[in-house]
Amino acid sequence: MDFVISEELKSVQQLAAQILGDFTEVDKLKAIEAQPERFDEPLWQALADAGLLGLDMEEAHGGMDLGFFSLSMLCEEVGRTVAPVPVVPVLVGAAGTLRRFGTDAQRDKWLPAIASGKTLLSSALEEYQNDDPASPATTATAMAGGYALSGTKICVTAATRAARILVAANAGEEIVVALVDPQAAGITLNEQLVTSGETRHELVLDNVQVPAEDIVARGSEALAAMQWARQATRTALSAMAVGLCDKMMRITGQYTSEREQFGRAIATFQAVSHRVADCYIDVESLRLVSQQAASLIDQGRPAEEASNMAKIWCGDVCHRVSQAAQHCHGGTGVDRDYILFRYCLAARQIELSAGNSARLAGELGQAIAREYLAAAG
Amino acid sequence: MNIELTPELKALQQEVREYMKTVMTPELIQEMKDDELKEGGGPEFRKQYARMGADGWIGLSWSKELGGKEMSHLEQYIFTDEVVRSGFAYPFLTTEAVTPVIAANANAEVREEVVGGVKQGKVVIAIGYSEPSAGTDLASLKTKAEKDGDHWIINGQKMWTSLANYADYVWLAARTDPDAVKKHKGLTMFLVPTSYEGFSVSPVHTLGVRTNATFYNDIRLPDKYRVGEVNAGWKLITGQLNIERLSLFTHGQVDSLYVDVCQWAAETDAPGGGKLIEQPWVQHNLSRVRSGLEVVKLICWKQAWAMDQGPLDMAEASMAKVYSSEFFVELYRLLLEVMGSAGTIAAHSPGAVLKGRIEFRWRVGSILTFGGGANEIQRDIIAMAGLWMPRTR
Repeated sequence: MDFVISEELKSVQQLAAQILGDFTEVDKLKAIEAQPERFDEPLWQALADAGLLGLDMEEAHGGMDLGFFSLSMLCEEVGRTVAPVPVVPVLVGAAGTLRRFGTDAQRDKWLPAIASGKTLLSSALEEYQNDDPASPATTATAMAGGYALSGTKICVTAATRAARILVAANAGEEIVVALVDPQAAGITLNEQLVTSGETRHELVLDNVQVPAEDIVARGSEALAAMQWARQATRTALSAMAVGLCDKMMRITGQYTSEREQFGRAIATFQAVSHRVADCYIDVESLRLVSQQAASLIDQGRPAEEASNMAKIWCGDVCHRVSQAAQHCHGGTGVDRDYILFRYCLAARQIELSAGNSARLAGELGQAIAREYLAAAG
Repeated sequence: MNIELTPELKALQQEVREYMKTVMTPELIQEMKDDELKEGGGPEFRKQYARMGADGWIGLSWSKELGGKEMSHLEQYIFTDEVVRSGFAYPFLTTEAVTPVIAANANAEVREEVVGGVKQGKVVIAIGYSEPSAGTDLASLKTKAEKDGDHWIINGQKMWTSLANYADYVWLAARTDPDAVKKHKGLTMFLVPTSYEGFSVSPVHTLGVRTNATFYNDIRLPDKYRVGEVNAGWKLITGQLNIERLSLFTHGQVDSLYVDVCQWAAETDAPGGGKLIEQPWVQHNLSRVRSGLEVVKLICWKQAWAMDQGPLDMAEASMAKVYSSEFFVELYRLLLEVMGSAGTIAAHSPGAVLKGRIEFRWRVGSILTFGGGANEIQRDIIAMAGLWMPRTR
């Protein structure tokens, strides 16, 4: 039992905060938002140069091997600065899965390239009405030297920039995890504008031939890989939400302390200060459950239930803190010239991604029922 | 960062859990059916409390000098959590909050009498803070103590003096300087033996348990029962609030209710066939309880861990109090909904679900949202200490 964040991890967090802070001044964010793709290339390279893209990679692959918890801390800092970098789909969904479940050849080929910032691999874990990558509707048909994939993945991040996109497909008796080349024949990428303001992609696979070298795992290994990816993605998004919501709450605390009405700072009205205090309670709750899930994954312990609960809290807290922050700001909260709106939009994006509160609460309830029905015999 | 109980803590948890099963004798369970004795005070309670003392379970966190084991706050929390879970009316405020303060501040004779008695499970102390017109604004209390030679003359009334109907002492906050410019600088702490002339109790029946109004009529109290310096009582009151809180909002007491309802719903038939727990709306409630409980558990662990590291962060301590007290009430509601109308059937009435335990808990639930520092005050503290917002007015 130890809630201490080690000095080493603290310095990683400070380094991340400093780099992310430098690149996310409002003018820079606006410039990125004017681009067709919301991706800050110089920032990504700066993170690579500082070693931060390889936090959860082995030293042999150019990483720092500081574990999943350190990666969750990077995600938190990215949330705190709403930085336009795809840390979760790239470093968690793709690199994190490859590190643990990829073949030696795949790990040697892709992980050093991702750590150095030269190459980017993304992951596409969601489909229409299906956010569980371990039970994909996309199909895989065995063929000579690999599989042919057909189906549709949605809201894919960095799809046009990625060298490969990690996907799962149903091969009948088992699932298959594969790296698909977005340039391959049979792939169509359709732009999807999402709430956060990003342009993401619908990835349509029509009999896409994936060679054996790009098959990551099959059978029970593939299932374990997608269970890990599901838990790790939910946990990483929760960590990101901690940063986002903590920042929104602090912006609101400061704004209401300065904004005067009726001749006094509105923060001196209990009705206002208590609404912000409630955000604090929410953010601390979210911090605890997301740290718990991250530390369990970090130590390779079972984390299905913990990551589910983290994501349930994540969705609820993103919603409540975002609404409270906007409300306490009045019109300023919805003004695109003020900083808050980016946080609110990003919070909503996270809330609905990778399993939302209602669905995961339903899943948790089913798991509880199974557990107690089994015990009751 | 490693948020799991160590094997040693798990072993302690198991040990206390097993031991407490022997404390909750059938005789005690029978005795506690009497509302007057629900919070202790009956002969079987006295017997088991003394047995815990004899077996060395009281004062685990105290210094070795006082006969304690110097357990860490984390170990102490595990102990507390299991004792509360068992349902035993262990007087935590006596053993954890007040006695260490007495040990550190009382004169040698009283220290031996009181601390020694608590250690043996023979002494229970009630808290005399609140008054009819001093609740959240505690420093405005009026009960007065006036010096008369080697004695103090005590006059006044206290409210919500729980356990005073059987306690051996009242830990009393009294005004010793009526002219202090700052109200909280004129208070002194005393131990008032309940056997003294001039002390009287009248019952106050609440929605849940019995509590008391206590009256102090010209009590002549020897100066040896003064604890700490004259007019320096405020620090003794506030110094133990965090420890008090950690014994009020434990995880096990509500987790056990959740587990019981899950088991009950898995065994109980639903009207249309199948078991109740297979109904989506039941699963929904259980799921919301489960994810809320997880935060209670983590808050408790973190607060206990943090107390071993140094002073608690004020905003985090207030957050823990507000979240837990409000979630407890929500949990009772969600679990009672699972039972339907039967959730209203009181203990000892035919058809009471799970012996009416949750029906009872719902009735006492609101006490913790205003007691122990009203949640409005806690939110003020969060806004100021956690978010650097200006003081509200």
